[in-house]
Amino acid sequence: MKNTSYIIACCLILLFPACNKKLDVLPQNNVTPSQIKTSADVEALLFGAYTLWQSYGGFGEQFILVPDLLASDSQVNFIGTYQDYQAVQHKKTVSTNSIPANLWANSYNIINITNTVLDKLSIVDTADRATIEGEAKFIRGVTYFELVGFFGKPYSDGQASANPGVPIVLAPTYAYDSLKNRPSRATVSQVYAQVLSDLQIAIAKLPSANVNFRADQFSAKAMLSRVYLSMGDYVNAALQANDVINSGNFTLTGSYDKAFNNASNSSEDVFAIQQSTQSNAGTSNQGLTTFYSPQPAGRGDAQIDPLYFNFFENADFRGGNVTQGVSIAGYQGYYPNKWAKFYKAIPVVRLAEMYLTRGEANLLAGGAPAGGTSPVDDINMVRMRSNASQLSTVTLQDFIDERMRELGFEGDRLWTLKRLQMDISGLGYDDNLLVLPIPQSEIDVNKNLVQNPGY
Amino acid sequence: MRKFQILLGIALFPVSLLFGQTKEITGNVVDAKDNTPLAGVTITSRGPKATAVSSSNGNFSIKVGPKTSVLHFSYIGYEEKDIAIGQAGEPIQVKMETSQKALNEVVVVGYGKAFKKEVTGSISKLISKDVENYPTPSFESAIQGKAPGVVVQSGSGKLGQAIQVNIRGISSISAGSQPLYVVDGLPVISNSLSDATNDDTNPLADINPNDIESIEILKDASAAAIYGARAANGVVLITTKKGKSAKRTVIELNTSSSWSNPARQRSFLNAKQYVDVVEQSAVNDGTYDFNNNVSGFPSLDSAINYYKFGFYEPVLDQFALGTDWRNHAVNTNWQAQSLHKNAPSSQINLSATGGNDKTRFFASGFYNMQDAIVVNNKFSRYGGRFNLDHNVSDKLVFGINLAVDRSELDKVTNDNSFSTPGQLVAQLPISPLTDPNTGLLNKNTLYPNGLYDALYDFDKQVTFRTIGNAYGNLSILPSLSFRSEFGADILSLNETQFAGKESIDGAGIGKGTIILSQSTSFNTNNYFSFTPQINDHNKITAVLGMSYLQNDLLHSFANGQDYPSDAIKNLNGATNITSASSTNNRYTFLSYFLRGNYSLLDRYLLSLSIRTDGSSRFGPSNRYGWFPAASAGWVLSEEEFLKNKTALSFLKLRASYGLTGNSEIGESQFQSLYAVTNYPGLPGFSPVQLANPNLKWEKSVQSDLGLEFGFFKNRISGELDYYNKHTTDLLLNTNIPLSTGYASIYQNLGTINNHGFEAAVNTKNLEGAFKWSTSINIGYNKNRVGNIGGQIIESPDQLQRAVNGEAIGSFYMQQFAGVDKQTGDALYLDANNKTTSDYNQAVRRVVGKYTPDYTGGLTNSFSYKGFDLNVFFYFVSGNSIYNSAGVYMSDGFANYNFDNQTTDILHAWKKPGDVTNVPRTGVNFPTGNSNSTRWLYNGSYIRLKNLTFGYSIPSSLASSLKIASARVYIGAVNLLTFTKYPGDPEVNTYTVGRVAGGEDFYTIPQAKTVSIGLNVKF
Repeated sequence: MKNTSYIIACCLILLFPACNKKLDVLPQNNVTPSQIKTSADVEALLFGAYTLWQSYGGFGEQFILVPDLLASDSQVNFIGTYQDYQAVQHKKTVSTNSIPANLWANSYNIINITNTVLDKLSIVDTADRATIEGEAKFIRGVTYFELVGFFGKPYSDGQASANPGVPIVLAPTYAYDSLKNRPSRATVSQVYAQVLSDLQIAIAKLPSANVNFRADQFSAKAMLSRVYLSMGDYVNAALQANDVINSGNFTLTGSYDKAFNNASNSSEDVFAIQQSTQSNAGTSNQGLTTFYSPQPAGRGDAQIDPLYFNFFENADFRGGNVTQGVSIAGYQGYYPNKWAKFYKAIPVVRLAEMYLTRGEANLLAGGAPAGGTSPVDDINMVRMRSNASQLSTVTLQDFIDERMRELGFEGDRLWTLKRLQMDISGLGYDDNLLVLPIPQSEIDVNKNLVQNPGY
Repeated sequence: MRKFQILLGIALFPVSLLFGQTKEITGNVVDAKDNTPLAGVTITSRGPKATAVSSSNGNFSIKVGPKTSVLHFSYIGYEEKDIAIGQAGEPIQVKMETSQKALNEVVVVGYGKAFKKEVTGSISKLISKDVENYPTPSFESAIQGKAPGVVVQSGSGKLGQAIQVNIRGISSISAGSQPLYVVDGLPVISNSLSDATNDDTNPLADINPNDIESIEILKDASAAAIYGARAANGVVLITTKKGKSAKRTVIELNTSSSWSNPARQRSFLNAKQYVDVVEQSAVNDGTYDFNNNVSGFPSLDSAINYYKFGFYEPVLDQFALGTDWRNHAVNTNWQAQSLHKNAPSSQINLSATGGNDKTRFFASGFYNMQDAIVVNNKFSRYGGRFNLDHNVSDKLVFGINLAVDRSELDKVTNDNSFSTPGQLVAQLPISPLTDPNTGLLNKNTLYPNGLYDALYDFDKQVTFRTIGNAYGNLSILPSLSFRSEFGADILSLNETQFAGKESIDGAGIGKGTIILSQSTSFNTNNYFSFTPQINDHNKITAVLGMSYLQNDLLHSFANGQDYPSDAIKNLNGATNITSASSTNNRYTFLSYFLRGNYSLLDRYLLSLSIRTDGSSRFGPSNRYGWFPAASAGWVLSEEEFLKNKTALSFLKLRASYGLTGNSEIGESQFQSLYAVTNYPGLPGFSPVQLANPNLKWEKSVQSDLGLEFGFFKNRISGELDYYNKHTTDLLLNTNIPLSTGYASIYQNLGTINNHGFEAAVNTKNLEGAFKWSTSINIGYNKNRVGNIGGQIIESPDQLQRAVNGEAIGSFYMQQFAGVDKQTGDALYLDANNKTTSDYNQAVRRVVGKYTPDYTGGLTNSFSYKGFDLNVFFYFVSGNSIYNSAGVYMSDGFANYNFDNQTTDILHAWKKPGDVTNVPRTGVNFPTGNSNSTRWLYNGSYIRLKNLTFGYSIPSSLASSLKIASARVYIGAVNLLTFTKYPGDPEVNTYTVGRVAGGEDFYTIPQAKTVSIGLNVKF
């Protein structure tokens, strides 16, 4: 009896060193970097960047809503209870506001993904390599363009080579190094140079059409036309827009409302973000539809400013493409139909914008118009679809107003006014308060960053 | 080996007496109080030495030398006794009295038991009486204020919510700060497994408080370090009731009914007051506009009229729905709509305790149901327990402890949602409850009417819990035993949520969710206990063993929407499944431990322990941590120079020093991770976490100095402790530059120091027929965060943060400095401590903290004949409470809202010269609308936590009723509250936080509960 007991007891104790192996527990819901081994794994990483663009810190909401709140006059009124959004609209943003922090965080997350993908290009199958590189550079370039727009002074002020932009990070982060990972802000022109380089390489590498609504050559050309337009490089802006128009890949939808609330890309979407019930920018506290759709579907926190309707002739279909409703805080108002439904594709660049860009750029560049179409024909092309009267002559102001009519609530107004040096909500185009503050949390951990003036 | 032979010799020594000339004395030992047999009493004879031990029925038999005339009886917790004996023959009856030395009690320690008087660590012990029949779901509420240094805070009057327990302060910023809970040797799950978007719920509510025999709270390093890596926040050992060998089985019935109401409510404006404030706001806006020539009105009257008729009154018209608000035709009390009156609850508990010398058992069953004071919040549960111990032989004891239960919790949404009942107070008192135009519940309220959610939504979680373990205890030698325990804690939770089409959360389409969680912990402890009998002067005990713990957590959920009607509430009614997911996580701990205790002359005590823990939570380079502790005690009252001081019954000085750890950071934190992304058609990965392979255990070094005393036969007894707990290498979730693509990384950075004192004094003021005893305890803790570098660690609302040199959870905000009596503008302090009306000039500063300095309790117990009265006060002092809903409910409409206001707004500034601290009201020229100390209050309070009056029937009556005893009682919880806070001071919208706490955001107040109950023993 005694011996047996000893044996049992000793066995129990000795058995358990085998438990040591039990301490190695692999993550079961995520993968580790060592598990990124194949071409498909690298592609999957690239697709992660699309998801972050879709999130509310990207095109799912803030890339589009935030510029419209900053250029709120005659367009949008944020009447919801979220104080951070109200502050953005009223130009009372402080550096601890969550919106700049979220924009910044999401964008650099995307940039880190694209940097990682570019770093791992060598394991991508050669057949796919150019496309993957092109997409990564497209996403990175556009993200830097958004960042420099929000956090830097406008390129149009002529000080781009002196004004601080955002830090340029081109290497993936595999481990944290408290000394190395403290980049300073590059100048606005340096960031623009990076954007141009990324988009130009993307154009060279991307196919003329891509699957699953992924970016293609014309996505990059369309975004590049925006970049050139904001730089005042009208010749190139017109050329890029012209390439998109002449690609034959896109046609304007039959009526204006058909360009929105589609399950996937419409015929005029040059590039759009896809959403589904399982994958979207948010349905209760975040996302364009949450804010722009009235009760009960959305919160209805963002309402149309009554002055917006002054832009339209009675016959213009676009002026009536709105819905009356009530916000979650009990306020009656009008809401744009563009973002009425959840889980729909979010147009990022539409063909209509390309017509307006080509026309305006040709007008401002003077000389023979790129594409051989006169500016007035370009603007009329867009106006005709919505039953707006045909213009016989066209001025810059016509284009500015037309962009408001055609691209309202799509995040265009702020950038148009800034690049043309026009007042915005009573402030000068280069006013400090029209530039978001560098997030305080970022300055707290990176002493190399300099805060924007006015914060 | 030689030593072993000696030990064996000592153990076998009495046997040799068998061969001499002897006489045999037999008898029976019982407790003098209730005549229950006492097992394990040591009986020794002087002269030729002989020893015997009473069996489980109290019987003993001892063979002594022919000349032996006295037998000596000793038993833990009882007075020693000498009995004169004659010749063999007539069995003798021995009655033993409970010891006056209360400090002789036995306490449960990690992997064993010890005599309280020999313990050199700091342990607070609570017994069944402290927790049974308390009208709250879980036992933590019942121990509030009963153990010094243990701060228990329940977040609100909602039922089933997690309860924050902090032992000797909060010692972590990013890792867990809750103690380790161990039930009968098995660590159990105590963190919430339910919907993460709602308040945490409390898995400890699955433990029936009436099954608890004792709760030992291990506070210092000496007591806790045997639990090593999981002990830094203290350890709570729960021991359930065990069977006893007795002549008859004791059946006990406990039943009670209770009724609850809110303990304290805020005071909101009624319709007349509301209209008055609105009209005054029109005057304020008009006056401001005219005086500052904002809009260029020709006269003051025209300005006021513009705002009155053009702005404010249309709002009143809109929400009055045609009722005459000018004459206050409607005066709705929305607060009353969110709360229940006399919310009922009842509980019944039946148990049986019994056994014989071979087998002992405890069995119980219980049912209870409870309605919260807030609508749609209910808790009910039923279950049972079976504890069994069986002597297979005199060497082997085997047993099981098994409890199963099912609990059901109906929850409301969290404080920060429009649909939660707590936010109904924002609706206007002029808003009718029923829309006069439709005859239905009003849908045209300022905010969507949460009563629709109360009607059509539900959120029900059902938990099945099995906590059980089996053990075998083998006596290898009289001095050496081996114990093996295998246990499992299986928690299965399913939560069903439904929001109807009519409700806010249903968004017109109906939404449903199902959540399934399953947590399975497997635990085994295997250890040797060595208790050699050396001699009377030297006593040694030692424990050596190992432990392995493995937990698997499975979690899955599915969300659906677009229901054809509210009739179907399951997900099969959802025509769109919008998302679904499942995850699983595992963690493991492998541990070895060794503890030795040495006592010399019962005066000098020494204890040493060491534990090593390995965990899957850390990378290979820092997988194992070592946690040693040492303590020493000196029982002065055993010294010759004090032994004859009659006034002094007991005096012990003790000191301890040791290291404990914390690893509550979740899984895989040391690794880089990519999460799955689900862009339509493009399944992918995105980085979510950056590796820190050097991550290691958070370490707490704690020293403790204690004094235990008893005077006048322990009529005055108590304990004093000073402690200093210094936590380093905090597992801090540090912010790193977002430009890396990551927001934060876990690093070992920073320190937290907690030091303070604890005192507990028990006195028996009157003895005799009328008994009066008092116990008071008080704990003081000072918490300081240090060396966190430039890290800014904030609460989600950024109103609180961890600041170097300040307490964790300091309130960090602008200092409100009253009202400019000329303009009515709110004033704040700027960087130079000058007042400014410009909020942007005001600087944020540390203005308070939510953790209290002092907490404690005072209990007075009286009894006379069959009557007993127990009065228990609990107090908290030195903390602040922030009403974070102040920006809506007490802003004078300045945040562009029309929310109903608390009555403090009646004192708002109205005209130049008014001296007040409530700024001007009005929507259009807002002032005082941002977060500041305007809504920060002193959170100290004293509460009459418990008042119980009972009557036990005389034993003569009991025996004629064929029962053993019976007691009826009436009790009240939270009957009185004394505080300066305008709401209920016992609220915390963050439920369980570290940096965040002490904020009231439409939080439901605590319940004031009156109960009647009956306790019968058969």
